[in-house]
Amino acid sequence: MSSPFLIVGQLKTGDTIPDFILTDHLGESIHIPSFKGKILLIDFWASWCAPCRRANKKLVGLHRDYGSANFEIVGISVDKDQTKWLKAIAKDQIEYTRLIDPHGFEAKSAIQFGVEALPASYLFDPTGKLIAINPTEQEIKQQLNHFKK
Amino acid sequence: MNLKILLIAITFIPALSNVNAQISKAEIVATGLTCSMCSNAINKQLKSLTEVDSVVIDLNTNTFVVHLKKDNKVSPRILKERVEKAGFFVGSMIINMSFENVEVSDNYKFEKDGFSMVFVETKAKTLDGENKVKIMDKGFVTNKEFKKLSKSLSKYPTYIEGNEDDYHVKVMVP
Repeated sequence: MSSPFLIVGQLKTGDTIPDFILTDHLGESIHIPSFKGKILLIDFWASWCAPCRRANKKLVGLHRDYGSANFEIVGISVDKDQTKWLKAIAKDQIEYTRLIDPHGFEAKSAIQFGVEALPASYLFDPTGKLIAINPTEQEIKQQLNHFKK
Repeated sequence: MNLKILLIAITFIPALSNVNAQISKAEIVATGLTCSMCSNAINKQLKSLTEVDSVVIDLNTNTFVVHLKKDNKVSPRILKERVEKAGFFVGSMIINMSFENVEVSDNYKFEKDGFSMVFVETKAKTLDGENKVKIMDKGFVTNKEFKKLSKSLSKYPTYIEGNEDDYHVKVMVP
């Protein structure tokens, strides 16, 4: 039986971060591998996804407490409606990297990562290797402590 | 038995005639423990049916709008099974059917591609062109709604029988 909770990722732990460019909320092109050297959390979400919006609150807190030269969060919205995305990032007070791939589940980045349900998050180490899919807040904190110099 | 009488009798049972009614679209609201729109599973399951042309997700109404190919022989049950395979339930299913001058009335029944439709709580009228009908049967409405319907629709014997190939439908007011 298939389950909506199951994420059949095309990315597996140990894989290298995919190479792609997306646009941020200011219209700037952002090259994903440019975050190498930091622990990176990539979070796929959408404005209409209630569980994503709840998760955003936690991520905003995590970024406020831990965001530094060693840690970054990149939120990738798959909203087809850019206006709704911009409204949501303002409302959720997101200050970490805000990108959009406006094609729903057909978004190229979502397919590359193997996103089957939202939200979906991927944690990469500073060398760009995937260390966890859908990590809990505690797992992320553990990794941050682990890599702390 | 007199064959002639039998033939006449058959001719005069309009209720079982094979009327021209084609399902063109189904609007499905799915329910479950998690957000149905946040999963790609339902979309994938529906799209994998060869009779499905496209699936459009209406985020304002949380509805999966399934466009079907011309001359398809899809039954509502096949669509329901796909939603369930994705790990969800059907909360409501409204199907768009195009009719060609079909005179319907309360308890009117017609057969189509191996299943039948029974009109409930329906006033006599002629259906021509696209019409939306809502399926009232178990598994096509929420459990709560079904409990209510099993009382209010108890006067329709086929509704209580619950044969899975009999669909009880109500014409939606446009």
